[in-house]
Amino acid sequence: MKKFLFLGGLIAACMAATPVLAHHSAAQFDFGQSVKVEGVVKVIEVANPHTKLIMEVSDDKGTREIEYEGHSRNNIYRRGWRPDSVKAGDHITITIAPLRSGADGGYVQSMTTDSGKSF
Amino acid sequence: MMLMVTTTRLAACAIGLAGFLVSATAMAADHPDFSGVWTFHRAGGNLFGPRWAGDEVMKPEARAKVEAYHKLVDPRGESPGGWCVGTGMPGSMLGSGGYPMEIIQRPEQITIVYEAHTELRRIYLSGPNASVPDSDLFPTRSGYSTGHWEGDTLVVETKALEEQVDQAAAHSENARIVERYHLDRDENGKTLLVAEMTMTDPDFYTAPVTMTKTWDASEDGRMLYYDCNEPAWEDHLDNLRNGRTDEASNDK
Repeated sequence: MKKFLFLGGLIAACMAATPVLAHHSAAQFDFGQSVKVEGVVKVIEVANPHTKLIMEVSDDKGTREIEYEGHSRNNIYRRGWRPDSVKAGDHITITIAPLRSGADGGYVQSMTTDSGKSF
Repeated sequence: MMLMVTTTRLAACAIGLAGFLVSATAMAADHPDFSGVWTFHRAGGNLFGPRWAGDEVMKPEARAKVEAYHKLVDPRGESPGGWCVGTGMPGSMLGSGGYPMEIIQRPEQITIVYEAHTELRRIYLSGPNASVPDSDLFPTRSGYSTGHWEGDTLVVETKALEEQVDQAAAHSENARIVERYHLDRDENGKTLLVAEMTMTDPDFYTAPVTMTKTWDASEDGRMLYYDCNEPAWEDHLDNLRNGRTDEASNDK
């Protein structure tokens, strides 16, 4: 039930607030899946209605910068994020709802820093 | 003699004024105080508020308008929130994206601030703002709200709404909303705020739609500032500085 509520919340939050200049739409995220990705933060803009994260990721496809969307600043703040929590150059692990298309990117459900902070 | 009469009158006036003030204070105190920060009721089963109950009684012509809207925006995943536009009534009070709301209560006016998009409602209880003639009203997403007390229940009536097909609780400009707010307690004795909302809109629905929304008193009582247009403004400034147009930037 908790999982259902959380998933419902994610979807509702995403539908309620898509970034103004978004390149990706909420409908493109597959909230039925959670994928872990790790990398180095290049840009992080924690904002409303959504957070923008660009991360350098290395995997089988090579090393590249990938842009993600995430929760609103207000939501992420209530989950424990603070202005000094993550900055460019930090290595972090994120859990995302991937793009349905299979392309790079997704909706960030949670971030974990190497120091163990999670929000 | 004259001085004595004047003094007596002044004393009488002072006593009368004091009595009036005490009486007014007592009247205000007679009503429940809804002031404070309220957040979605976690035990309610639905994190983001109750599902809109009006779909089954929506008229075909209204449904066609709603479907045309969704056909337009759904493929792009667009929404008012994505453009930093608030939900509007009654969606703001029924859901507001799961964010908290703050109630500021004065005898003559109750102000509700929904954190998401800082949507604002003013509910006029008395004074000239509580009786603005229809000819002086213009439609908005939140409408024009007046209220009165029925015992411990605050009754709020809202009109002057814009037609909205961009929220789950779609409605015409002729919609009328009545909310009835009262305090309650959960099984653990924690304070709840409960509102029964009825929307009557013969243009869009074959019957009035009634729903109940419950809020918990916020434990930290903290509302966060919700700016939303700032990133778009900053992007626009970046485009100006770099000689780009916003359209070209969006098409990247």
